[in-house]
This record gives sequence, structure tokens and C-alpha cells, in this order.
Amino acid sequence: MTGSQRQKQKQATRQNIIAMALQQYGENGFLKTRTADIAHASKVSHGTIFAHFPTQEELIVSVIEEFGNRISARLHELTYNTSGIVDLLSAHIQGLLEYEAFYTRLVIEGRLLPKDARNTFILIQSTISFYLGQVAEREMEEGKIATLPIHMIFNSWTGLLHYYLINSDLFAPGESVLLRYGDEILNFYMELLAPKNID
Amino acid sequence: MKSLSDYAMEDEKKDYCRHCSRPDGTMQSYSEKLQSFVKLIIKTQGLDIQVATTSAKAMMMRLPAWEKFRETVDFGN
Repeated sequence: MTGSQRQKQKQATRQNIIAMALQQYGENGFLKTRTADIAHASKVSHGTIFAHFPTQEELIVSVIEEFGNRISARLHELTYNTSGIVDLLSAHIQGLLEYEAFYTRLVIEGRLLPKDARNTFILIQSTISFYLGQVAEREMEEGKIATLPIHMIFNSWTGLLHYYLINSDLFAPGESVLLRYGDEILNFYMELLAPKNID
Repeated sequence: MKSLSDYAMEDEKKDYCRHCSRPDGTMQSYSEKLQSFVKLIIKTQGLDIQVATTSAKAMMMRLPAWEKFRETVDFGN
């Protein structure tokens, strides 16, 4: 095997471990998942995991980074031709739907994770808050939505989404809470943003 | 950078994006970029200024143009 082939195989193994870890963390959570579980799911030895990720923290951060890259790319793709807030927030829900279990764990266990992982989470949130801020400012100028602070527009949206995700066992046991309530949450949220006509 | 409009001044020869450029098309300095990034995080997410600064540094560190400033990042671990 040539050096370049070895490098490709090494990269493929690393990507496979990250993909399996993403799945395992989504199913069992960051704190409960053991590296042995990830090794088993990845069909590699326990030692191989540590050859690629010397510490558990490094593995967790790499997986969150991978999720961040995927969700950012997906959001970029979904929002490329979107024109308004409804389209953007709908794209946000669509993007999260693909990683709902993992994202829910990230929200629930976020504060217990290493600082580096926390920063990566802020980076992920920055992608959507940036897009949302741009569209919201335009729609405020056009009078399509009420004039509100940008950070409160973003925080109230994520607050609503996160409440349903954290309590998905109460709202949609055994199924996707975003699939079941996504439209209702979005419609309600747009009602909140609607310009207020005070006579 | 995926499309022409992502490049500074829509110039594909530039190796930085429009978000890292000044109005005249030149690249912002590290401190200019950091300051605007922190402001953006606070404006769009309402985070505490210290948290926003640490996060902005961590984000910039991942971008090739700013990687050399790695040593200025304190993750507080």
C-alpha cells in the first residue's frame, strides 16, 4: 500500500469513527456513550479510536465540529434561494430534522461538555443567527415583521425549538418532535413576529 | 467560498471573503475582524461580551487567514 493510499484509508477510518460516534451520541448521549461502544459500532479496535483521538474530549469536539460543518453546509444549501424568514426558519427545521437526536443531546448536555465543544456549539448557532439577523432586518425595514431586537428574535426562536426538543418525550414519545410540531411552532412564531397594529 | 459574491469585492483572486474585507476591498486586521465578530455575536445572540470574545477567537482560529493567532485563544479549560 502506498503512502497516499494509507493516508486515504486513515482518513476514511477517522471519518467512519466520527460518523458512528455522531450516531451513538445521538442515541445514548455524550456522557453515557463509552469509547468501547463507538469502537464496536465502527468495527475497529478500541486502540484505533485512541490512535485517531487521543482523548475522549478530542473525539467529542471532532464530532460536534463535523455536525457543525454538515448543518452549516445544509443550511447554506437550503437558504441559498430563500427570500424570507418563514423560508429560513423552515430550512432550519429541515436541517435539524436530519440530526434531531444528536442536536437534542447537544442541547441537553451542552453545559457539561468541554469548553471547546461549547464554543463549537456557539459557532453552529452563529450560522443560523447570522442568516436570521440579515433577513429579519430586511423584513423589519419592509414592515413585514415587528421591530424587535435581533438577538431576541433568534433567542425566542431557539428557545421555543429547544423546549420541544428537550421535552420530546412528553410531546412526541418515540417519534420526531420537529416533524410533528415543526409547522405549528413555525406558524405560531410568525404570529408573534407579525407587525402590531395598535389603533 | 462557493460563489463569486462570497469573495471580497467579487474578486476570485482574493483569498479572503467579503466578511473579512474593508469597504475598499483590503483585508481587515485581526483586531478589526475580532471586534466586528464579537459585535455580531452580541447583536445576533445576545451573549456576554467575555463569552462572545472567547468564542469569536475560537471561530477565527479555524479560518486559514487567522490560524496564526491560535496562541491568543484562551478556552478557559
